[in-house]
Amino acid sequence: MIPLSHAVARRKLLQWFASAGLGPAIGSKLVADEVGAAKGARELQPTPVEDRPHYPAFLRDGQVIQPERPLPVFRETDVLVVGGGAAGFAAAVSAARAGVKTMLVERYGYLGGLWTGGIVLVVISTHATQNGDLTQVVRGIGGDLMDRLAKVQPGIVNYEPGKHNPTSDPEATKFMMDQMITEAGVDIAFHCWATDVIMEGNTIRGVVFDSKAGRQAILAKVVIDTTGDGDIFAAAGAEHEQRLHAIGLVHRIGNVDRVDKDKLAQAGLKQMGSIEPLPSVRWVNLRGPSTNGLDIAELTRLEIEHRKAIWERVQKIRATPGGEDVYLMQVAPQLGVRTTRLLAGTHQLTYQESREPRTFPDTVAIGGAQNGKHAGWPIPYGVLLPKKLDGLLTAGRSSCVDEKLVEDMRLIASCLTTGHAAGAAAALAVKDNCTPRDVDIAKLQALLKEQGAYLG
Amino acid sequence: MSRWVSLIVIAALVSPWLRSVLPVAAVSPFVALVSAVAARSVGIITLIGLPMLILAVLVPRVFCRFVCPVGFLQEMAARLRLPGRARWRSWPRVGRWFLWLTIGGALAGYPLFVWLDPLALFTGFFSAFRLPTTIATIGAGALLPLAMLLDVLFPGAWCKRMCPLGALQEALAIAKQSLANRTRATDESLFSCPHSPVIPTSSPFALARRPLIASLVGGAGALLARHTAAKPPPLRPPGSLPEDQFTGVCIRCSGCIRVCPSRILKPDLGQHGLAGLLAPVADFDTAYCKEDCNACGQVCPSGAIQRLSLAEKKRSIMGIAKVELSRCWLAEGRDCTACIRSCPYEALSVSSDGFDSHPALDASKCIGCGACEAACPARPERAIRVFSNNLTG
Repeated sequence: MIPLSHAVARRKLLQWFASAGLGPAIGSKLVADEVGAAKGARELQPTPVEDRPHYPAFLRDGQVIQPERPLPVFRETDVLVVGGGAAGFAAAVSAARAGVKTMLVERYGYLGGLWTGGIVLVVISTHATQNGDLTQVVRGIGGDLMDRLAKVQPGIVNYEPGKHNPTSDPEATKFMMDQMITEAGVDIAFHCWATDVIMEGNTIRGVVFDSKAGRQAILAKVVIDTTGDGDIFAAAGAEHEQRLHAIGLVHRIGNVDRVDKDKLAQAGLKQMGSIEPLPSVRWVNLRGPSTNGLDIAELTRLEIEHRKAIWERVQKIRATPGGEDVYLMQVAPQLGVRTTRLLAGTHQLTYQESREPRTFPDTVAIGGAQNGKHAGWPIPYGVLLPKKLDGLLTAGRSSCVDEKLVEDMRLIASCLTTGHAAGAAAALAVKDNCTPRDVDIAKLQALLKEQGAYLG
Repeated sequence: MSRWVSLIVIAALVSPWLRSVLPVAAVSPFVALVSAVAARSVGIITLIGLPMLILAVLVPRVFCRFVCPVGFLQEMAARLRLPGRARWRSWPRVGRWFLWLTIGGALAGYPLFVWLDPLALFTGFFSAFRLPTTIATIGAGALLPLAMLLDVLFPGAWCKRMCPLGALQEALAIAKQSLANRTRATDESLFSCPHSPVIPTSSPFALARRPLIASLVGGAGALLARHTAAKPPPLRPPGSLPEDQFTGVCIRCSGCIRVCPSRILKPDLGQHGLAGLLAPVADFDTAYCKEDCNACGQVCPSGAIQRLSLAEKKRSIMGIAKVELSRCWLAEGRDCTACIRSCPYEALSVSSDGFDSHPALDASKCIGCGACEAACPARPERAIRVFSNNLTG
């Protein structure tokens, strides 16, 4: 038996070698893959059809009715973070490092949200001027991430002492977030879009999400809404407001090191885009019109219109003497939705308060200065905490701030610091078996400092 | 021994003023008179100085004797004089020239030597401690010590011979006396004061000749000084008189500069022409003119900065913002809205059209408070700056 099976394997291998040899274009890499496949993995082999609960919606009196049905519970966890952008990433790492069971669900296949998928590569307001000195305010989880990015090439630029507002490489950032999240022991599920909440009275007990594997539930003791759009707190009925903001689409152009700057400047093309770690590449912002980021028709229209505008802009550069080599390298996978829902928190932080800056007994993060010039602004815990809903925290751009402070809160830097704060608070609530509302602030601040956060 | 006592007395008198922002100079009748003449109007603050003016007619040198802190300091300083040092008695009486040149200048809209008013010197000295050290602040602050030094070397040289306020009081006494001479004999009691002048008994025409010539010269000088005013004029505090009057009426007491909580007011170093030397200019490098503050107008003793209510101040136009798109981050594609958010009057908004976004200004709402300029992150030159509204007209 044994020699025979060896013979079969050998024969198969020879067949594959033969087919690999059909064309000189098929290289040794392919052969190696096929050898690997020969060792065990099988493609296009039949696999049992998964048994999936079948409860289709139906029409009754012209209305679409969704039938009542039990949902399979995908996981039970202590802390559930919904949305893997900058805020969700920091929240999940912080909670897991604090030693509680943490799960993160993300609708796309990578972490970083608008930072990496939106190609908003610059981390604005990482620093502030504290007592006359340029001081890094994004420390803790976000600081750890940037420190790690500084050790790889191409990782991050403008992250040396004396500088502020660094720019990172999107792929390096995604990779490093993956590393940190797995290192911390976060249970992560990509390609899961949270669509609803599980309620028990006034307390959120988990979320319902959709995926290729159908609709399932995750139960959690504390849920952190870092969807950016407040999808979770809105579904839970928490009080919130909704705002319109400019929605753009970032793109990247390549070969900018091969342009004739003088010639382009003569033609009125002075600004190619913003620098990033790759020397021949620039990322280009597009502000876009102010509209509703929750409206599918608007989002669709803008994807198409913005992509057209980007295409035409790059063609214009290519048609200009000096810019012939420039090419459109990438259009961001995600639209740049700046602001939609803002939680009505127990404290609404105002622009006025931030510029005084007002201090709070429950400071959990320090916001930075976009120009690095003014003082850091303390962010109280109340901006993350819903007025009435229990078991939930938010962080990042959906935090409770006024119209003017949105412009600071929605930045990656603030997302990292408030995300860190929310993660630590959720972990503490689980440990002390209380709601996030009743978390001991002194203990929370001690935990944040232990995790390297800067609180002024 | 008495020298030490004098020093202690001087220190005791000086120290409380180091942090004070009271408009002391308003008490000076000289300031009140020439400011009112130059501004062609009588403000509330002017009325503080007028009773003193009337009193000076009745009692010779009343201000010097009972009010003037510089006079008191001079007396103390005079006791510090080095023994054996000879007094120089023939120090020229330049004070009356200062007086008439200034009055003549005031008639032409620019009171030339109003900044030599002792109370202006006094406040100017204390302002120097609250201001960044520059040649101008040192210059303004050095006048009082210089005057005192003069009196250490030549006792009475400042007060009796140079002070224009002293000369004004003397002139009033002379005028009163020469009127009295027409009707009755000289009242000896007038001369009981050691500071009182020797009153000549010439005819009124002879008396008036020199002041007349000095006034004419002063007027011509004032017209010349006003001619040096820079175009565009610099930014002045909110509620300032029109530029051509402002530089004349301002007595350079630095009261506004000291009281400004944002510290945006700085003494003019002459960048904007000789006429405005040491007058306050607004600078929005780090801060702006706060919407809930009208302090500069409250302390201005001359009325160069008018007293505005907070509601009036919010409508008082200092200048107008102007965006230079070639330096603007938002126009460059960076997502900056610093100026838009900082504007307390909501005069700025984002104008967007595809890739082209930039700040748009509603000129009818902009009062030139400088919040946008202070917030603008563009360097080395800001993308948004406030310019005097006289320029845009």
